[in-house]
Amino acid sequence: MTATENRPTYKYVGTRPIRHDGYDKVIGKARFAADQNLPGQLHAAYHRSPHAHARIVSIDTSAAANMPGVKAIVTGDDFPTLDAKHPNADTAANVMARGTAYYHGHAIAAVAANTRAEAQAAAAAINVEYELLPAILSIDESMADGAPLANETNHTKFAPPGEPSNFSTITNLDRGDVDEAMEAADVVIEREFDCAHVHQGYIEPHACVVDTGPDGKASVWCSSQGHFRVRSMTADVLGWDKSRVKVTPAEIGGGFGGKTTVYLEPIAARLSEKTGRPVKIVMSREEVLRATGPAPEAKLKIKIGATKDGELTAIDGWMAYGVGAFGDMAGLIGAMSIASYKLPNLRMETYTVLTNTPKSAAYRAPSAPHAAFAVESVVDEVALKLGMDPVELRLKNAAVEGDLTAMGMPHPRVGLVECLEAMKVSDHYTSDVPEGAARGMAVGFWFNIGEESSATVNLNDDGTAIVLTGSPDIGGSRASMALMAAERLGIDVYSITPVVADTEAVGFTDVTEGSRATFATGKAVVQACDDLIEQLKDRAASIMSVDADQITWVDGAAISAAHGGSEGGEPLTLAAITAQAKRTGGPLTATASLNAAGAGPSFAVHCADLSVDEETGVVSVLRYTAVQDAGTAIHPSYVEGQLQGGSVQGIGWALNEEYVYNADGVMDNASFLDYRIPVASDLPLIETIIVEVPNPAHPYGVRGVGETGIVPPMATIANAINAATGVRMTSLPMSPPKLLSALNKRGK
Amino acid sequence: MPTVHLMTHHRPFTGGEAVVEMDGGTVGAVIDALEERYPGLGEMLRAGSSAGIDGEVHAEPEYVPVSPDTTIYFLAPLVGG
Repeated sequence: MTATENRPTYKYVGTRPIRHDGYDKVIGKARFAADQNLPGQLHAAYHRSPHAHARIVSIDTSAAANMPGVKAIVTGDDFPTLDAKHPNADTAANVMARGTAYYHGHAIAAVAANTRAEAQAAAAAINVEYELLPAILSIDESMADGAPLANETNHTKFAPPGEPSNFSTITNLDRGDVDEAMEAADVVIEREFDCAHVHQGYIEPHACVVDTGPDGKASVWCSSQGHFRVRSMTADVLGWDKSRVKVTPAEIGGGFGGKTTVYLEPIAARLSEKTGRPVKIVMSREEVLRATGPAPEAKLKIKIGATKDGELTAIDGWMAYGVGAFGDMAGLIGAMSIASYKLPNLRMETYTVLTNTPKSAAYRAPSAPHAAFAVESVVDEVALKLGMDPVELRLKNAAVEGDLTAMGMPHPRVGLVECLEAMKVSDHYTSDVPEGAARGMAVGFWFNIGEESSATVNLNDDGTAIVLTGSPDIGGSRASMALMAAERLGIDVYSITPVVADTEAVGFTDVTEGSRATFATGKAVVQACDDLIEQLKDRAASIMSVDADQITWVDGAAISAAHGGSEGGEPLTLAAITAQAKRTGGPLTATASLNAAGAGPSFAVHCADLSVDEETGVVSVLRYTAVQDAGTAIHPSYVEGQLQGGSVQGIGWALNEEYVYNADGVMDNASFLDYRIPVASDLPLIETIIVEVPNPAHPYGVRGVGETGIVPPMATIANAINAATGVRMTSLPMSPPKLLSALNKRGK
Repeated sequence: MPTVHLMTHHRPFTGGEAVVEMDGGTVGAVIDALEERYPGLGEMLRAGSSAGIDGEVHAEPEYVPVSPDTTIYFLAPLVGG
């Protein structure tokens, strides 16, 4: 770890206790959504569209309804139609088609039966008549003049009301005079890139159990990154008040952004309502790949101009992101994520377009990996052209506080320079490149977000504490909440039980996404602890018979100046105070809720040594180092885990992962056998270096770390491949067949 | 008066102006004033914006107080995964 500022001395923050949920996860006791079973439950299965784009002429469920074990069937007609401007209108149309199937695998109907096999058999027996519609299967097709509509309900955002369109966003970013700067540049490098759809690859498929009682209230257990959002989306899709839905989050086996929405819960709730019995739905891996959101595909053109001494003076870009059958802002976000360099002149033309493929979902720093692949590849070429060390070039141009981001706002205090310096002196970067291998590096950025969080801290009469939050734990955040509470209250971290509470037991908390949990929910925990400390001081004052302003809180105890203060007198410990809670006024509890502002961006710098088998195109990654600014690493092991996980996912994205669609818009590789994600034997241990440039907007300086780690790897690998072979790969993935083909064309 | 920086897709409402000064004691009041001067802009800002206010990004900044020397950057909503 590299601490770069005058770091306060903490007692608990920065330590590595075994996570409170660790034992259950290791011995298999942790309960995931598919482990949940309720008496009398039914199982549900889907009938999904066999076509990429088709109008649903009719749905005949009569044969299915008469099959053994079938208890209920739902179609789009069983759900209200939301106004087109409703924020969850697209979600509603995605979880169950209403009149039109927009992609192969789109849910058309669902069956609840006694067993999963019976439900699947009945689902297959549903007879659907379709009218085939033209299917848009690529960005180029979507953007072509006169192209058929992929989704006739889509309108372009940030534009005057108009006709339906394949464009979800058409937006530009600009500053300075790009044309003049390019004209004056000594070096201009321009390349085109493309990135296929990839999936988040969470090991745990989507799963839920929903029990809608006779009072019309649904209890939901599900795998989710945000159970309050599950509540909102489920209620909206069903046309219910939110108070009719209670969601209990199960442990989650990976999400990475892909579980920030709903696919199953409204369907299960309606089936449960119709049958009067709980309904369980567990997706198969094939369903996950065919019918849940991948990351967008993208096409990018990036041109960068520089002076001969390495100053990057201008960037001119064109970006188009294909987001599947429903709109979002991927193109704009991709351009906004260009924030690593001063770049006084910038122009980005961006598009987000629809295709007849599954609705894209977030994947760890959504849109930024694509943009960084392109930009960092071109920056690498600039360095090569100028004969400059790639780290030195980046140091020369690195954004610091006050430099403008692409979205126009100045950076707050950020740590890119510190990360580059840490890489420059790292063991990896200072060691010789292994024989037969080559080295590449790249940088990455993510904004991180704040949003709403709540926390309740209850003190037990024995001095232990319960910390309740609403942030599903996808990376060790429970341990971090306990560490922050321990530090604030001054009690042992194992005296604290961190709990992820259901939607009725804790205040509203936004989704665990955007690397926000340790930042925003952590702030709420600290605020609640600060409130408790004031209460503890008041109680201590009563016990000690002094005025409350005589009390200070030090290291988990009340010190009274009148009782001798720091020179003498017994401190009154938290446990001693809580033991007298009833006598001094009652239970000690505090709640805090906030809309957290000031999320600190996180920069990362990666380096890879790899070798290329020029007979097969197979790349072997020999060594990989990830440097990242965590602000303050509350629990360094789980920060390291985020850096490692993001790196591995990015390497998979770089070398192997892609959706392969046939001409009919059907995914040909819908299994982990053919959709190849890295496994432990594929890669070396990812070395990590945590840089700490504290975020002034968090009481302990936290910056979110979960996402930035996936941003640099594709360019890191591409730059290393270029160093190894002289071939600039511009199409993801850089899989063996594509690399071999490029190698064979080299020099021709 | 607070200084307001607008993204490119906001500027068709302002005749291309990227930076404007607009009075208001909260971000919401500034948006109201923008809507009055540039019809349609306020509606777009309320439909989906975060705001960078004196260096910090706020989601749903309607009632965030601002002072005459505040700088506001209206941004697209920041998301995550």
